[in-house]
Amino acid sequence: MTDQGLAIAWRGAWRLPLPSSRRGQILVAIRGAALLTLLVIVATTPGFFTAVSLFSLLNTTSFIGCVAVGMTFITLSGNIMSFALSATLSTSGMVFMAALPLGLPAALLAAFAYGAALTGFQGAVIGYFRANPIIVSMAALALITGGATLITQGHGIYPEGNAAAALKGRVLGVPMPLAAFIVTAVAAQIVLSFTRFGRQLYMVGSNWRAALAAGLEPARVVLGAYAAAGLCTALAGILMAARYSSGDLEIGLGFDYSAISAVLVGGTAISGGEGSAIRSLIGAFIIAVCQVLLLLHGFSTQIQYLAIGLIVLFVIMLQTLADTE
Amino acid sequence: MTADNSARLAEPGAAPVEPGALRTDGAGASIVGVRQIYKSFGPIAALKDISLDIGPGEIRGICGENGAGKSTLVKILTGVYRPDHGTVLINGVPASLTTPRQAQEHGLAIVAQELSLCPDLSVEDNIWLGSLRVPFLHKRPHLRRRAAETLALLGASHIRLEAPVATLAMGERQLVEIARLMTRDARVLILDEPTATLTDVEIERIFSALVAVKREGRSVLYITHRLAEVYEICDQVTVLRNGELVATSPLNKLSRAALIEQMLGRPSGEMYPEETRARGAPALVVEGLSLPGSVDNFAMNVCRGEILCIAGQIGSGAAEIVAALAGLVHDASGRVTVNGRQLKLGSPTRAARRGIMFVSGDRAAEGVFRRLSVLQNLVATRLREYSILGFLRNRALGAVAGRLAKRVGVDRRRLRARAEDLSGGNQQKLAFGRSIERRNAGVLLMNEPTRGIDVGARAEIYRLMRSFCEDGYALVMASSDLEEIVGLGDVVITLYRGRTVGLYRRSEVSMHRIVADITHPAAAAT
Amino acid sequence: MRALFANRSVRPFLLLVIITLVLGALDRGQGRLFTTGTAYSVLQQFATVGPIALGLGLSMIIREFDLSVGGMLSLSGCIAVLTGADYPVLGVALAVLCGLAWGLFQGGIMVWLRLGSIGVTLGGLLTLGGLAYVVTGNLSISYPRMDVAMAVNHPLLGVLSLRSLVALAAFLIAAFFMARTRVGRDVYATGSDRRAAMVAGVRTSVILPAIFACSGMLAALAGALLSYSLAAASGVALTDALVPATASAIIGGVSLTGGKGTPIGIIGGVLVLGLLNAGLNAIGTPPAVQDVVTGGVLFMVAVADAVDLDPRLLAMRRTWVELFYRRREPSPAE
Repeated sequence: MTDQGLAIAWRGAWRLPLPSSRRGQILVAIRGAALLTLLVIVATTPGFFTAVSLFSLLNTTSFIGCVAVGMTFITLSGNIMSFALSATLSTSGMVFMAALPLGLPAALLAAFAYGAALTGFQGAVIGYFRANPIIVSMAALALITGGATLITQGHGIYPEGNAAAALKGRVLGVPMPLAAFIVTAVAAQIVLSFTRFGRQLYMVGSNWRAALAAGLEPARVVLGAYAAAGLCTALAGILMAARYSSGDLEIGLGFDYSAISAVLVGGTAISGGEGSAIRSLIGAFIIAVCQVLLLLHGFSTQIQYLAIGLIVLFVIMLQTLADTE
Repeated sequence: MTADNSARLAEPGAAPVEPGALRTDGAGASIVGVRQIYKSFGPIAALKDISLDIGPGEIRGICGENGAGKSTLVKILTGVYRPDHGTVLINGVPASLTTPRQAQEHGLAIVAQELSLCPDLSVEDNIWLGSLRVPFLHKRPHLRRRAAETLALLGASHIRLEAPVATLAMGERQLVEIARLMTRDARVLILDEPTATLTDVEIERIFSALVAVKREGRSVLYITHRLAEVYEICDQVTVLRNGELVATSPLNKLSRAALIEQMLGRPSGEMYPEETRARGAPALVVEGLSLPGSVDNFAMNVCRGEILCIAGQIGSGAAEIVAALAGLVHDASGRVTVNGRQLKLGSPTRAARRGIMFVSGDRAAEGVFRRLSVLQNLVATRLREYSILGFLRNRALGAVAGRLAKRVGVDRRRLRARAEDLSGGNQQKLAFGRSIERRNAGVLLMNEPTRGIDVGARAEIYRLMRSFCEDGYALVMASSDLEEIVGLGDVVITLYRGRTVGLYRRSEVSMHRIVADITHPAAAAT
Repeated sequence: MRALFANRSVRPFLLLVIITLVLGALDRGQGRLFTTGTAYSVLQQFATVGPIALGLGLSMIIREFDLSVGGMLSLSGCIAVLTGADYPVLGVALAVLCGLAWGLFQGGIMVWLRLGSIGVTLGGLLTLGGLAYVVTGNLSISYPRMDVAMAVNHPLLGVLSLRSLVALAAFLIAAFFMARTRVGRDVYATGSDRRAAMVAGVRTSVILPAIFACSGMLAALAGALLSYSLAAASGVALTDALVPATASAIIGGVSLTGGKGTPIGIIGGVLVLGLLNAGLNAIGTPPAVQDVVTGGVLFMVAVADAVDLDPRLLAMRRTWVELFYRRREPSPAE
């Protein structure tokens, strides 16, 4: 092979999409440096991988991560975030628990259908009427919380029997939630990278008018994005309900914020059209690793909250570099 | 510049006057002037050796084709650009205009095409918005009186001071903007194509307002395409062409034909490719197309292998017609037949499925997906053809993108670059690339396809368009660029304020006719 | 009806009347609704939600959105409780100062880095929430001055309290500024069309941080007084305030597209929600109904203000007409 051929093969093998603008390159450099720093700290922190806290944290991270993957669809579609996913998570867990007497498959089906339909409906309103996504999601949050409280009279749902035990085990030695999270992220990434819907989602998020002019149906794509978000959220709800053996309105509290934090820390653009599910997976893990590190170095839980806030703020400030003028 | 200029001015009917020599009144002073201004952007000179003077109480027309340098001149006078050489004189004294604020302080104020009014604020608030004279408690009787007086002076006393600007018609808004500048003691008003989107009555109002401004002893710089208006309102006209000053002439000594001659100069022929030889069957037939508020009863018929130009100024409805055919206007009505089958308007998806694709001149807003790669832009419209059960055949798509890149002349090594990193011309090629070679190849709609694209890339885009004709496409292009229309159009439909003025086949097309049609159809009728 | 509903300055008060009538009808003359107790509790809620809704509304008027108000609410409560034991006024002052500083910081970042407000204030919300946890040590802290707690809630004239008076004063000051001063006019101009305002000479890069400072201060004021009245503060209160405050501002006629809405309208919006809550409570419906009604109203307003509502409705009507009347018209193909 000639030198030139080698060079082409080398480039082809890597296919590094290095941005050609200077600001973009600075952004990549900063992100790389931050990641490297984190890895160095991890390597020099004694007992990181043996820490008990690591595994307990991985469970919580997995639930948040599933929601974050769902949120990624919404952010990519150009609709920033939803405030209703936490309530959707809780209630789909309740639906799952309520339907469990009908058998595991029926309960799964019911919970997934519920999550997809509920969130998809919001997507339809946002896509077809172009209503403000933030306001719609806040309205949905109030409606879901209120409606669920009315129906259940404020009680949790504790089904009899042990049908959900299958969801509490391990898959190939990996805890079920973690496995589900990774599978969800990979599946979402496959959808985003290799399907028509995924490609259209990037287009709609990147430029709604251009997508319209190119003959796509942006409204339908947004509906799909929300439905996908609902599915991911329902999965998290099912797993959490199974874990706590109950469906409760409180279990998802604050997940919207944790999820969008993971999405943003992963580097998905808040203005839409750029990012990926794998990035959100990385973002969720970065946050988790930071939490463990802070814990191991003797910082309290409250400092962790603050640190996450500051990291998100920093990451958002970095995004100014991503927007070329 | 005198010798050089008068040699060039030996054109029929033109009575050259050295700039600055002519005064409209006895004052003998120039309020604002420029001397030997040069300005270039990179290798392209936008203004070459421009000198002119404007006297007090003068209304001066500035005419010229697209790219003649009008807007560069305006931007120098308003402190947006600084000239490479030359000076700006205020009352005969050299002044430095480095910021828009400084220009305002010198009394130079502009009514840009995009008005700077806030739609939710009242007329009164808009008039005083940003004025340094407004006290903290801004609702003062004397300010209100001054605003009312200024509007009355402009003949616009019917505009209520407390009405939100959003409720006003375009012409009224322009009057409010002029009133704002008058209250700021602007001595020279610069109006940049003010009538583009106005109705006849509104234009008359603006004109009488300008006469009132003139009577106050203030001057007006009136930039326009529309020759009829120049004759109606201006005292003198300065013509720019390719960045050079062709002539400044008083209008009573200048015939219309001579003015058109001055504007157009010698048309450059090599830029445009040859006509397509073979014409095919009718691809798109439009009858009775009406868009509320902009277009009335439009009809056309375009065959395969043909380029149809809809020629018209901004606001004439040409751009709106193209957008409506693409399905982007929701309240359009009319009968549209594509390849013999009826098409219901109002849905871009439906139009695309029937082979109508839209290439916009506004690339950032509705053209390319700027954050996505070149490859993804090129295959944006053909995902359905290259997917199995919803999964994309990425290898096939890559091959298609490569072929399309070659077809439209984008470097294949840049397939993975982000679209926003490409030049304007290359971005436009992406928009073409995604619109061609679809299963239902048929009609390409374009709106100002070469807006903001440099000359070299333009020629390439024209060749590309002609090559699509060879492939059997029917092309419909809305444009306000005369050279482009004359150089490319096999059929030209001229449009004036939403109505069709004339229809010309290629042999009948002339620049004079089109200019007359789209600027002043009454003159064409006589 | 739709025209009246679309008139933003009328909408909150129209809703107020409708809700009063509906609640009155539900009450069936049992006299549970029209009591000073209901009025007092409406105004107490006004005291909490009002300033936040005002700050959020101001940010929406300049076409931004301040998500961080919830975080500022909890942080300022903690600061006031921690520092105001000896001098309650000092606690409030420190909290408000903190709100001012944070608002300026956020607004400054947006102007400097040219970033959207939602991202920056989302980061702000999380950071402020974290700070609240840090200063309280992740505990609920109590305020030792019961006398102050009683004083801020003590009913005045039967329905008012010190808290609601402070909130009302904030609204009146804001209403004065927005309606009568050059600054208010510039704020509307900034939200209506930022480019045009800038070209006309409005200093939008000063207005933006100033509005976020106001929003921060108002949230801090509400948070400090709320914590005094509860005699406690904690770090957990992120979203609880955001939804009612947003709903109040939007029901009050503020538009997310900027330039529209008034402080008086926001008062109307806050009262609508407050009346719904207190009224439904008074006639004995479970609290969850209030959530549902709030959500329903918010949802309706969101759809009514949606960008593509009219084209979609037109398209739907056309399809409808075609389905039922096509056969009567001659076919266009002939």
